[in-house]
Amino acid sequence: MQTPATTKNPIYFGWYVCAASIFIGFVAIGARNSFGVFVVPMSDEFGWNRFTISVAAALGVLVSGLVQPFMGQVFDRTGGRKLILISLVILGGSTIMLSLTFHVLFLVFMFGIVASIAQGGPALSNTAALMSRWFKRKRATAISINSAALSLGGLVMVPFSMYLLQATNWRIAWVGLGVIVLLSLPLAYFFIHERPSQRGLYPDGEPEPLTEAGGGRNEATGPLEVETWKESFKSAPIWQMAASYCVCGATTFILSVHFIPFAIEERGISGSTAATIFGYMMGLNIIGSLGAGILADKIGGIKNWLALVYLMRGMAYILLITVDSVAGLWIFASVAGFSWVATLPLTSSLTADVYGLKALGTISGITFMFHQIGGFGSVLLAGLLFDITGSYTLPFAIVGALLFPAALSAFTIKERKYSTRYQPAVPAPAGGD
Amino acid sequence: MAFFFNFILAHQGDSADPELLHWIKERLDGIFGPEPWVIVAIMGFAVLAIPVSVGLLYLLQANRRASAELRVDQDRLDREKAP
Repeated sequence: MQTPATTKNPIYFGWYVCAASIFIGFVAIGARNSFGVFVVPMSDEFGWNRFTISVAAALGVLVSGLVQPFMGQVFDRTGGRKLILISLVILGGSTIMLSLTFHVLFLVFMFGIVASIAQGGPALSNTAALMSRWFKRKRATAISINSAALSLGGLVMVPFSMYLLQATNWRIAWVGLGVIVLLSLPLAYFFIHERPSQRGLYPDGEPEPLTEAGGGRNEATGPLEVETWKESFKSAPIWQMAASYCVCGATTFILSVHFIPFAIEERGISGSTAATIFGYMMGLNIIGSLGAGILADKIGGIKNWLALVYLMRGMAYILLITVDSVAGLWIFASVAGFSWVATLPLTSSLTADVYGLKALGTISGITFMFHQIGGFGSVLLAGLLFDITGSYTLPFAIVGALLFPAALSAFTIKERKYSTRYQPAVPAPAGGD
Repeated sequence: MAFFFNFILAHQGDSADPELLHWIKERLDGIFGPEPWVIVAIMGFAVLAIPVSVGLLYLLQANRRASAELRVDQDRLDREKAP
């Protein structure tokens, strides 16, 4: 399959796939997260109140969460390349079309339904599945780079939209964002390929792995490798991962929405300091995500790292609730920041290692849905409990307490028994694989 | 119901929190000045530089590999021609 001449290429093609996927996610997330920037100017022009425009945003969040398992299934059946290319065309087109908004129903349809469904194509659960095909030994690293870049995308593209809006108007700003999404098409076309074998390569860019005897070998397969997503839900690891991922969603969403109000109202700091701490935490999550992926690949024991991340976040929540000072908030941000996105590459990588690649898009889509459900539940709970108690302490304590069973759930996954990383390779019959 | 939609809107983008955006804007204004076009140009250039650099890097590598393979072929032909 692979000749020695081609393996001399210093950069493995999988890294180009990774780079393309990063850029696609970067602009797609940016276009989505920028919606908040458009709320005021669009409301002002059409005389909409905040509730009216919220319908489009709310529908978008719900649709993008619900559509993910189906997009995962499309990914598994037709391949990531077609799905991503078509989704980008629709996403770019619908973002440009938003500039023609003339009625709130148009906005609801175009943003809440069309763009939100299209967002599901290049979503992280699918690109993580794509990375899993291209990388095995460096799987968690590749997924972590991918997810860290997405966080960065939100932080770069949203201010970009804000300034573009300030320099022009909301219609031109939507067109600008749509054009940027469409500009990712050539990169996707040239670099998004389904699997290394299409280019005569092996995962991680390795030459054909050899046994000690010098013969070829087949890929190791895990005892839980599945052909369909339904099979995976008959075993314990997926439930353990999904349950802890649900807690992950609950503990990150709640902070996204309520951390700044909590810091201002209950810790008595200024909005600017609260935002600085939140920004610091968002910056750290990029480092945390990268570090978790690299360490998991280098040292192994993905489930242990996953458990550690949940445990760290649980400790951070204890600090958040108990230390009533600005210093406490900074310490919380330091600990929680590292663990914010780190669960994603670890969970995606472990899912691929345990269940294989055939139904990975769908399985990842379903676990992502669990994450979103946890997030919705926690934000609702926090809002309701705040109205009742006048404080965020109780909801933070409840979701924070869930992190410890989540850590236990991750820690008790039988990774050595089920992960392909720990399975002996099957010797190939003479004559190759 | 209004609360439900409002908090979803508030969540609509982790990095789109108004306080955080305001803070980022203040920092960027401090660095580049308050003129929006300057920042749009710089950020736009930085964003578009990503796919261009990836494409250029790939082309550069492909060219290098092609010339290396050409050299290997040429050497082999030379060796075959040699008495």
